[in-house]
Amino acid sequence: MDLYFWVFASMSVLAGLFTIAARDALPSAMGLLTVFIALASLYLHLHAPLIAIFQVAIYAGAILILVVFVIMLLMAPGERLAAIQANVSYRGAGALLGLCLIGLVAVGTKGVSEIVSMKALPEGFGNPSMFGDLFFRDFLLHFEVVSVLLLVALIGGIYLCKKKL
Amino acid sequence: MDDWLIAIIKVVCIWVWVLLIAVVMTWVERRGAALIQDRPGPNRAGPWGLFQPLADGIKLFTKEEIIPTKAQKLLYIMGPLLFSVPAFSAYAVVPFGDKIILGGKEIILQVSDVNIGFLFILAIGSMAVYGVILGGWGSNNKYSILGGLRSTAQMVSYEVPLGLALLAIVFVYGTFSLRDISLAQQGTFLGFLPNWGIFKQPLGFILFIVAAYAEANRVPFDLPEAESEIVSGYHTEYGSMRLGLYLFGEYVNLVTISGVIVALYFGSWHMPYIDLGAYLGPISWGIVSFCIFFLKVSFFLWMFVWVRWTLPRFRYDQVMGLGWRGLIPLGLFNIFITALFIQLTV
Repeated sequence: MDLYFWVFASMSVLAGLFTIAARDALPSAMGLLTVFIALASLYLHLHAPLIAIFQVAIYAGAILILVVFVIMLLMAPGERLAAIQANVSYRGAGALLGLCLIGLVAVGTKGVSEIVSMKALPEGFGNPSMFGDLFFRDFLLHFEVVSVLLLVALIGGIYLCKKKL
Repeated sequence: MDDWLIAIIKVVCIWVWVLLIAVVMTWVERRGAALIQDRPGPNRAGPWGLFQPLADGIKLFTKEEIIPTKAQKLLYIMGPLLFSVPAFSAYAVVPFGDKIILGGKEIILQVSDVNIGFLFILAIGSMAVYGVILGGWGSNNKYSILGGLRSTAQMVSYEVPLGLALLAIVFVYGTFSLRDISLAQQGTFLGFLPNWGIFKQPLGFILFIVAAYAEANRVPFDLPEAESEIVSGYHTEYGSMRLGLYLFGEYVNLVTISGVIVALYFGSWHMPYIDLGAYLGPISWGIVSFCIFFLKVSFFLWMFVWVRWTLPRFRYDQVMGLGWRGLIPLGLFNIFITALFIQLTV
């Protein structure tokens, strides 16, 4: 029994439950923040400090802050989206999407038990330089394709919010 | 066991030291303001008013703790904690001296020399926003929410140029570790300049210091707490030690930022032109390097005060314009130039 794992794994699961169960938007976002930080701690435990830092800096430090920003712009403290929460079709759609996601995860984790076997880590595992090698040498094409995709999304975003160009 | 003991001693010492500097900074801020505005300032408590922070601390501790009726209690209480904990933990990867040899054991003067050094600072720094957001939202006050909103937008915007400036530094030194970067700044550059980061990254330094002022919510970027417009913004509703944690966390942030500036751009513990480490014994060099480092840090701390009482506040659209239209293109340009230079010379 790995105590460290169990502490942070249960913390992330509980915080995840809180995220979907919370009635107010901002506490829910704080639950998500806890999930991110607990996951980052698990990455640290798996000797992947760089991924842990990315998890905190990008997911918690940038993406979630944008979510919180939108919440603060659109709602007032204590305000609840009762109309949306009571809407049956929204709930049905949520349940359907959730089931699809669970199905995807189930398909994706098939055969994981064969992968999980103790292996010695290669030298310099999780180093920033190893990351750089992967991104800019071994998988350069994929990296560039993703960056083009992001650029397209950026231009699309600007096009959508500008009333006249 | 020894390693654990050393680590604990280092953590406790540097923590106490940073807190001590933050306490003294509250005094320096007020005396500095008085100096610049040509008035005496707080001079009653102790010699030159030095015990003023102590008096303020006692005042904050003994005040009644009030939670506004309409506040969201949990968020209101969590706000100051989420603001001050990242501030107190960010110094862990910043060095405070070279190394000291005690009883044949080499101790580096840094809590943890991790290879992800200043990525850690960026990550922890971005956590501080949550304290401001929760404070503003939890207080359930229009001014506070405005302050929280402003600070969210501002901190997210200025994290980008900060990251770009740091990226250029990684290009130059090829490592994320603040200790390795410090060690690489010994000797001279081009034969006559000290081998400091600022001479290799002059534009990067300007970007970094501007973005750092914005991240720390200091004048001229103190929009989140602009007293004259939104009555201290996110901490309007706070009192007693909760307010104290906000104010105090800000000064701790200043110490960390100054430490990072010195370690990255101002040669850390190196004296220009003279390598004192070659002349001094291992123990005395440890102490001297610590002193040199904090002399430089204190200059930048003073600069924070100096700027605060000299410059007026930006308008909000000016802050955003400077960030997105000024600093980010400049940061990209700086990266381009640095990459080109490295490509041509190496």
